[in-house]
Amino acid sequence: MATNVGNQRIIPLEEGWNDEIKAKAIDKLEALLNGEMKSGSMFGPKEYVQIYTTCYDMCTQRSPYNWSRELYQRHGETIEKYLTTTVLPALRDKTGQGGTILLTELRHRWLNHQIMNKWLKKFFTYLDRYYVKHHSLPTLSQAGLRCFRTKVYDEMKGETTNAILGLINDEREGKIIDKSLIKSVVELYESMGMGSLDAYNSDLEEALLNSTREYYAKKREDWINDSTPDYLIKAEEALTKESKRVDDYLNSASEMKILKVVEEEILERVEMVLLEKESSGCRALLQNDKSEDLQRMFRLFSRLENGLNPMAAIFQNFISSMGDDIVNRRQARLEGGEKDKNDDPKFVKSLISLHEKYLGVVKQDFSGHSLFQKALKDAFVEIVNKNVGQFTNAELMSTFCDRILKSGGEKLSESEVEESLDRIVQLFSYLTDKDMFAEIYRNQLAKRLLTQRSTSDDSEKLMIAKLKMQCGTQFTSKMEGMLSDLAVGSEQRSEFENRMRSVDSKLDFSVQVLTTGFWPTYKSPEVALTPEMSKCMDIFKDWHEQKHQKRKLTWVLSQGNASVRGVFGKKSYDFQVSTLQAIALDAMNNGVTMTFQELATKLNAEESILKPLMHSLSCGKYKVLIKTPPGNKINPTDTFTANPKFTSNMRKLRIPMATLESSLNTKRVEEDRTIAIEAAIVRIMKARKTLQHQQLLSEVLNQLAFFNPNPRDIKKRIEGLIDREYLERSADNAQVYNYLA
Amino acid sequence: MWTSSGSSSASSKTAKRKSSSTAGSAFNEKAAEKMFEEFAEEDDPTVMGMDGIIKLCDHMDLDPFEDKRVLVLLWKLGSKEKPSQITKEEFLTGCYKLHVDTIEKFQSLIPSLDTGFLDEMEFKDFYKFCFQFNRQGTHRTLDKELVVALMKMVLTGRIPDDRLETFCTFVETQEAYTRITLDQWTSFLDFCFAVPDLSQYDESSSAWPVLIDEYVEFMEELQKKK
Repeated sequence: MATNVGNQRIIPLEEGWNDEIKAKAIDKLEALLNGEMKSGSMFGPKEYVQIYTTCYDMCTQRSPYNWSRELYQRHGETIEKYLTTTVLPALRDKTGQGGTILLTELRHRWLNHQIMNKWLKKFFTYLDRYYVKHHSLPTLSQAGLRCFRTKVYDEMKGETTNAILGLINDEREGKIIDKSLIKSVVELYESMGMGSLDAYNSDLEEALLNSTREYYAKKREDWINDSTPDYLIKAEEALTKESKRVDDYLNSASEMKILKVVEEEILERVEMVLLEKESSGCRALLQNDKSEDLQRMFRLFSRLENGLNPMAAIFQNFISSMGDDIVNRRQARLEGGEKDKNDDPKFVKSLISLHEKYLGVVKQDFSGHSLFQKALKDAFVEIVNKNVGQFTNAELMSTFCDRILKSGGEKLSESEVEESLDRIVQLFSYLTDKDMFAEIYRNQLAKRLLTQRSTSDDSEKLMIAKLKMQCGTQFTSKMEGMLSDLAVGSEQRSEFENRMRSVDSKLDFSVQVLTTGFWPTYKSPEVALTPEMSKCMDIFKDWHEQKHQKRKLTWVLSQGNASVRGVFGKKSYDFQVSTLQAIALDAMNNGVTMTFQELATKLNAEESILKPLMHSLSCGKYKVLIKTPPGNKINPTDTFTANPKFTSNMRKLRIPMATLESSLNTKRVEEDRTIAIEAAIVRIMKARKTLQHQQLLSEVLNQLAFFNPNPRDIKKRIEGLIDREYLERSADNAQVYNYLA
Repeated sequence: MWTSSGSSSASSKTAKRKSSSTAGSAFNEKAAEKMFEEFAEEDDPTVMGMDGIIKLCDHMDLDPFEDKRVLVLLWKLGSKEKPSQITKEEFLTGCYKLHVDTIEKFQSLIPSLDTGFLDEMEFKDFYKFCFQFNRQGTHRTLDKELVVALMKMVLTGRIPDDRLETFCTFVETQEAYTRITLDQWTSFLDFCFAVPDLSQYDESSSAWPVLIDEYVEFMEELQKKK
């Protein structure tokens, strides 16, 4: 080409423009857009190249014949002229005839403009490459868009936005609208931002948010008279539809904003009204187990910031009142004359099933949300620690476990036992006085183990493992020690039986060794045993001493049991009795008659022991002894003799006897607490050396997991430690303590 | 606190005392020793017990049971080791410090023994001493009747009358308390200084002994009844 330059003819501006560009390109393009020509006859490659070449030539001629500036200007003028003389009048013509018509025209004109812009850019593309770049001007297509924005869009946007909003509201009301039409017009709004969403935001979205707010404010007024579930169904539907609408034809950035507006209008503003509706609010739904409605309620209010708080509060309140009902029913039963026992399975079962039910609600309907878990927990902490009657809930719960775990209690399958234990441990976790429970539980466990009334070793271990999970090793170490005593005991028993075989004894004798400290402390009355018994005991003592030289044995006769045979005339019976009962029966052998006092001397038994003992033999279900005078109370003046007329249908009989000690030792728990508090204080102070009163208090409370001491109890312990010179009050601040090493 | 620190390290004190007695005429240790011997226990000449103290008071014309100046004197002398007595060591160090070696000099000391001369820190120390001195042998606590009498004796004029009066009534009527600990004793004075207005008392944040909490409760009940 370079060699041809000199030869090439210079194209004058007007000639090139009028004869070539305008005539062959622009006029044809406009005719095409106006529908005056068939769309099939677009520019072919040949035509296009010719026009491009003309432009190229005109832009590459040396100055003063370089027409770049002029062509750039005329490109703009062409578009502007077309928009003002053709497009605008057409659009103005369509205003006031309904949204769809206006929007359709706008879409048509916008598509046309895009075509026009595209072709013009192609024709003049050489300008883009050099002239535009050198002079930092808007590119051709930018210039075209700008022109459309200033000439057409700015004038029409008010009308079109209204038209869009009108159609959207129509759609909200269920009318069918041309979604693709709106979608293309929305695209126009998006394009008008020239790469940002500014135009869309300020010209359409803002107005849309306002009209949305207005629309749903009105809906809220209409719907609020419905029941809460009905309202919420509509609300959820509306939210889904709004979401889908954005998906269908709006910019996705609008979704959050629109939903927020809708949520504010139809949920937030009426939340309390909806939740508190008398017959269909949250409480009513809970009362009637309206699972689906509750789920929806949860779903919807979880969309709001802190929207679940009031719901959780109602939930907690509801459970509390359900719990109160259970507690009140127990109280009413007691006041109605029912005997106040430590065994009230009805009460414990109601609590368990209440808990089970609403734990299910939390999991299923409220997706296990932490707020509702906490509400459930708080409600139950309140309920479970409300003690009615003589026995604490800790004792009722422990006794309930006892029923499950001992033979002759509840008849349950293995999996039912596990399930029940699981549930009771859940209730237990809400107890404040966990140490009290542990103490009672240990006593009952000991009794089950020592009287061989525990149904299953595995279940016992399972329960202890569950408690351990909840409260740690320290909590269950004694209970585990008890079980291991028994395990060791059964190993040693066979060894000792070998030893016994070498001795000629009429008794079938065995011993269970218990480690002091693991087991409850039992009274060990020094009653006079039969010579045969004493002999066996001595053998064991020797045998044990050989095995464990440094261990001290003390005998707890009150916990022993025996099987004795009684012969009454022709019939004989096997009695399952305690060791104490056995020696009493032995004393009454061969039909002797003895006074209470004589017995007391013979057995070396105190009145407090002998009374329940003789009561069990002469006033119980099986009267193997006769008491004179007859009656249901033992007096020191009574005399006793064997009952020659005793008969029973069963050959094996268990003669129960009242326990000598109550199963609960509150004082012991109190003492343990004192020790635990002091230990915690010393532990903390040893580590911190100097600590403020408040801080010490809260750290102590943190460390004590098994009960909840009141601040005064802790203070008293602090004072005690000051008195014993473990601590001192700081000389310059009476609210601060120092640790004295 | 500096007042009581005087007798805490006896050995250094003795050295000082001797050097000073050789140097000047201000203090005659021999005379002081002689005076001590006059009041010392018969079976233990290193200790002056209650009998000796009573005798000393007689010489000074002070009522040994009713006059709090006796306690101030013993506190100033530095009785510390055991309650209800003063050792020879303590006595001589105290005499040296107070420049007294005759009964006459002791008598001339009387006007300065008023508790009104003690500032707050000194008074606190003196108050603590009153508890310690009145203990019985190895007992760590005081009978509440004695506490009430002692308080009325030493605290009158130091704290507002109604506070003293109501607290004594409170202690007397509480059956749960028969004896008072040192901590409760000293805390009461600190409490009087720190909380002049009971309505400002907040049990939940206070480290005061429970006895004080209960006293405030007692006062609130009293207010309600009125």
